[in-house]
Amino acid sequence: MTDMKDLELFKEAVVAYLDEDGYPVSYPSNFKIKDGFILVEKKFRISQGAMVTLTFNHITPLPSGGYTDRRYVVVRGRVESLDGSLKVSPDKIYGWDEKKTPFPEYCEIMVPQARRYANELVSEHGKASGPKISLPSLLFRSTRFPFTIATVVPVLIANTLAAYNGYFNPLLFILTLVGAVLIHLGLNMSNDYFDNKLGADNINRTPTPFSGGSRIIQYGLLTPSAVAGMSTLFYALGAAIGLYLAFSRGLIPILTIFAVGVLISIFYTAPPVKLAYRGFGEVAVGIGFGPVIVLGSYYVQAQELPISAFLASIPIGILIALILYINQIPDIPYDSAAGKRTIVTRLSRDGVMKLYKALLATTYGVIVTAIVMGQAPPTTAVALLTIPYAIKTVRKVGENYGNPYMMIPAMGANIKLATWTGLLHAVGFAAAAVFNIFS
Amino acid sequence: MPIPPHLEQIFEGALVSILSYVDNRGRISSHPMLPLYDSARGNLYFTSSILFSRKLQHIKRNPRVSVLFTGREFIKSPEYHVIHIKGDAKVFDEDVHSGWEWLLPLWRRKEPYIDSFLKQRIALPLFWERAVIEVRPVEMLVWENGDMGREPIRVKP
Repeated sequence: MTDMKDLELFKEAVVAYLDEDGYPVSYPSNFKIKDGFILVEKKFRISQGAMVTLTFNHITPLPSGGYTDRRYVVVRGRVESLDGSLKVSPDKIYGWDEKKTPFPEYCEIMVPQARRYANELVSEHGKASGPKISLPSLLFRSTRFPFTIATVVPVLIANTLAAYNGYFNPLLFILTLVGAVLIHLGLNMSNDYFDNKLGADNINRTPTPFSGGSRIIQYGLLTPSAVAGMSTLFYALGAAIGLYLAFSRGLIPILTIFAVGVLISIFYTAPPVKLAYRGFGEVAVGIGFGPVIVLGSYYVQAQELPISAFLASIPIGILIALILYINQIPDIPYDSAAGKRTIVTRLSRDGVMKLYKALLATTYGVIVTAIVMGQAPPTTAVALLTIPYAIKTVRKVGENYGNPYMMIPAMGANIKLATWTGLLHAVGFAAAAVFNIFS
Repeated sequence: MPIPPHLEQIFEGALVSILSYVDNRGRISSHPMLPLYDSARGNLYFTSSILFSRKLQHIKRNPRVSVLFTGREFIKSPEYHVIHIKGDAKVFDEDVHSGWEWLLPLWRRKEPYIDSFLKQRIALPLFWERAVIEVRPVEMLVWENGDMGREPIRVKP
């Protein structure tokens, strides 16, 4: 919101009016604000009643070149009197201050205008217009490929645990990994499709690399139907591998686990279930990336489901759920407006942080419990090495809570925490498996 | 008549100028914009992202514009003059994806970090879909040494 008070931040005004020859004329002027009017110097032939536009502009030049600290205010008004100076009565005030509205947010606000203009260009120049990015970049962005690490880690945990218990077939490992990643890619794209359809991504003005979706539909990089088509393709390919594994390794158990995983991923955002919109998204993700992937992957190798596999699935399930949990903090206002009642929209800031700490503590607690119970080798205690990093991450999240752009490093740290803790957990199982082979 | 070198120095040193144009209701709209000057052509250039495309539509309808260079701290040149330009504008938007890239060397001189943003083009793709506004100066008013108390000198390029 821009108002007259903001003008105090500027040194001079630029006065512009329409000259008789049809060109705008402008000149710099000192200015004063008095009784709701803006007083500026009179130059040239501006008449009483004329419409003028006053522009107040600021940048801070940088010694290295370029500038920062951009802000401007534009005031449109009418000249009320001409007593030596122009007395301007403001009709409309607007502007932008990058300290109040960061540039990425400002750009997001303007996306509909850009889409309209791009469409006009198509009819004007008779050719498609709009952003073009290379196919690999488009696939990378639209599938949110880096997030598949959340699938890779639980598959690794399951397979290293299986190896520790004496079961490991490399081909089955690769098929499981590829199948699970394909389902994850399908999930990411269906999430974008439905979040666009249900409005949550469209009203989000502060997307970050970790929240607010991939923006491929909003930026016109892909149509919703193309996204739906790609999602279906990924699901179909993943399902084909899943069915092959089910038929070759155990129809009922694998099919059951696989079906639970696929249904969770589809109904995460898809109507009528919309788990994410009802506050079950985090739990669904925890189950999907924890027990479903770990137990399913383990069964493919070992054709049994021991308690040790279930215990191994809990920490990674919680950690992946916590990625979503923290990434949803910047989206709170937009998710609330779109009726997406995630856990963080239901809790206070204090409640969100308490639950975050409690779940992290549970993660490490389960790792220790499994060792104590003899359900995991002592080498898995290596995962506890991330505890200091977890403490730092909690602090980072708390300090930047709610500020979308300031939270980006905290969200990144939270993803690293989940990845490294999960990978170290797998390393713990792998080290014990290697030890078993050589002892 | 070519543009005098001491005025070209201002165009080349300015980090911001105020571009004004007439909207479809006859009102003046003004925007602070980074001015780029091509001395070989004697024209001023601006690039505008399609995110901020309203000005492009108005300028296409009415190409009569003005550009004001003012603010000592915004102009990195040994001399300082306030310059007002009336000019005829043309919008080039046939290829918003790369039709503006020939201006990058001029842009880079004023914002050296622009390449690092451009490398991350995928992060904000619509920002990098840009039209070019070319302004051919018709008449200039120059307040030498920024002294607004004196009458401006009129220069016709």
